[in-house]
Amino acid sequence: MIARWILLALLPIVAGISLAQSRRLSAIIGMGLFSFVLAAVYLLMHAPDVAITEATIGAALVTAIYVLAIRRTGRLTVVADEVPRLIAREGDHITGLEYEILDGFARETGLDLSIQFVPLRRVPWLIAHREADIGAGGIIPLEEAEGALLPTPRHLKTGVYTFPARSKPREVPATVPDYEGYFSELLTHGRSGTLSTVVTSLDLARVLALGRAGALLQGLDRIDGEYGYAFLIAKRRAKLRRDYADYLARLSTSGQLDDMIKRHFS
Amino acid sequence: MTKDRVQTILAVGIIVAFAALVGITYANSHPHPADSQQYLARALEETGASNRVAGIYLNYRLFDTLLEVLVFSVAVLGVRHYLQQSKGMSLPTLSESEVVQTAVSFLTPLALLLCSFFAIFGHISPGGGFAGGVIAASGLLYVAIAHGMKAIETRLNPWRLALAEKAILLSLLIFLLVPVAVGRIPLSDLLPKGTPGQLLSGGSILIYNILIAMKVFIGAWLVIAAFAQHRGEL
Amino acid sequence: MAAMVAFILFSIGILALVLRRDLVIKLLALGMINAASILFLISIGDRPGARPPIQIPGEMGILADPLPQALVLSAIVVNFAILALALVFVMILVERYHTTDSIRIEQEMARESEEEETLCL
Repeated sequence: MIARWILLALLPIVAGISLAQSRRLSAIIGMGLFSFVLAAVYLLMHAPDVAITEATIGAALVTAIYVLAIRRTGRLTVVADEVPRLIAREGDHITGLEYEILDGFARETGLDLSIQFVPLRRVPWLIAHREADIGAGGIIPLEEAEGALLPTPRHLKTGVYTFPARSKPREVPATVPDYEGYFSELLTHGRSGTLSTVVTSLDLARVLALGRAGALLQGLDRIDGEYGYAFLIAKRRAKLRRDYADYLARLSTSGQLDDMIKRHFS
Repeated sequence: MTKDRVQTILAVGIIVAFAALVGITYANSHPHPADSQQYLARALEETGASNRVAGIYLNYRLFDTLLEVLVFSVAVLGVRHYLQQSKGMSLPTLSESEVVQTAVSFLTPLALLLCSFFAIFGHISPGGGFAGGVIAASGLLYVAIAHGMKAIETRLNPWRLALAEKAILLSLLIFLLVPVAVGRIPLSDLLPKGTPGQLLSGGSILIYNILIAMKVFIGAWLVIAAFAQHRGEL
Repeated sequence: MAAMVAFILFSIGILALVLRRDLVIKLLALGMINAASILFLISIGDRPGARPPIQIPGEMGILADPLPQALVLSAIVVNFAILALALVFVMILVERYHTTDSIRIEQEMARESEEEETLCL
């Protein structure tokens, strides 16, 4: 009888704690524990059949499929805007300088690399709301950028260009290129010559890629100043940021970074 | 009125209604209803199963259980269908340490043994087909964790498993229709009841339990395999 | 006591269902509501000094009521079916909107339908 009271009193505590967790994995494991305590309560209430079913289905099977579905640990989730030569799909695999750096970093830390392509404007939100670990894809951190996100050290120098005020609209080409998000918008506008109506400035990698894809880019002016590409990592992921900074420092002192840059931007 | 207000009012209403339901039911439930004990005494002779729970849900309420099996099948079908549509990732190449592999080589036969015990003795002792099938599926999950999904997929083709699941469901339905051939209503039990407590007792409950265990084993494994192939999408 | 705990668990489940924004945790809360209802039904079938409803030859005691237990077995399996299927739908939503935040998904959907309307005009 005492055992039953103790277990019954334990149930709301376990339930409250597990449903108040902010990490999904903790909540799911808490619910697994809850189901197990519940199975013990059923057993003490003289319902062995229900106890066995609850323990196998509620505690084991449901927990297993939820953990399989959210399996995030051991995984490096990257959200990126697609930029050719930095990080972009080529056939069924991904290439580019940033991809190579991230791939090496994931391999060294023993994590599965998983890349999702999203429009550039969604990258900071996804990082800040724990939906991804690292944001990539031609991100140029500005000096005053702060908040919940911090940029990593730069891995590539770049230039930023502005448009002159003139532009003449042209027909939009029928073939929309197979890029996702921001870059495909730029390319559509670039080919019709209306790029200056949607953006005020562009970085070097995008300018080069747009030029190769046949966009109209006459008369760009280079802005003076030191700019460089970096990744975005949330402020609370201090360890991840430190590990990445160490990795990048080793990469550049051993000269591998220069080799990679030469290979992708010959 | 804002959406949040409506939601809060609904939630409070549901909680109050449930409190009323719990209170009224609890106040009106009798600790020792005499009818219920007589009903229990008759049930033992009528079903022949000494596990009375099994006697109820595989004899008196067999139709309920049949629909429960169908709901489970529909869920398996839905999970496989929708996960196949979404772009999957390559099979996880998990390969654990030797400690895990040794433990699994001991645990998986144990799980399969427990599964057969629950299925075969479901009408005498606690257990039953559903619990047994899920335990066997989790035994396969151990193998998948220790040796990787590929080791299982090469031996157990998911397509053939899905076919076998449907074949078992069909044979269960045909078995339930057999009484029509001898002029009884469907779902009625033709086999002798036997002495309660013996292995061969309880009429068809033993057959139902074994069929359900096999079906749930395959179904639960197909669900686990589908989620394992699409792991980490959330 | 058990009925009280069932009620508390039910309230926790409903509150989590309304207050938490994460869809996965909403599903877990749904499972908890189901568990609370099952706990209540089992506690009604239990009697003081009863034995589990499994007949042992030669023993005549009061048995716990097997009827709620038999009905509740279906509820557990159906609950699993619902949770598995709902989880797949959440995964499909995440694939499209890259978040499990319900409010964020609603905003995105509203934005999408607005965009469609402007395209139609």
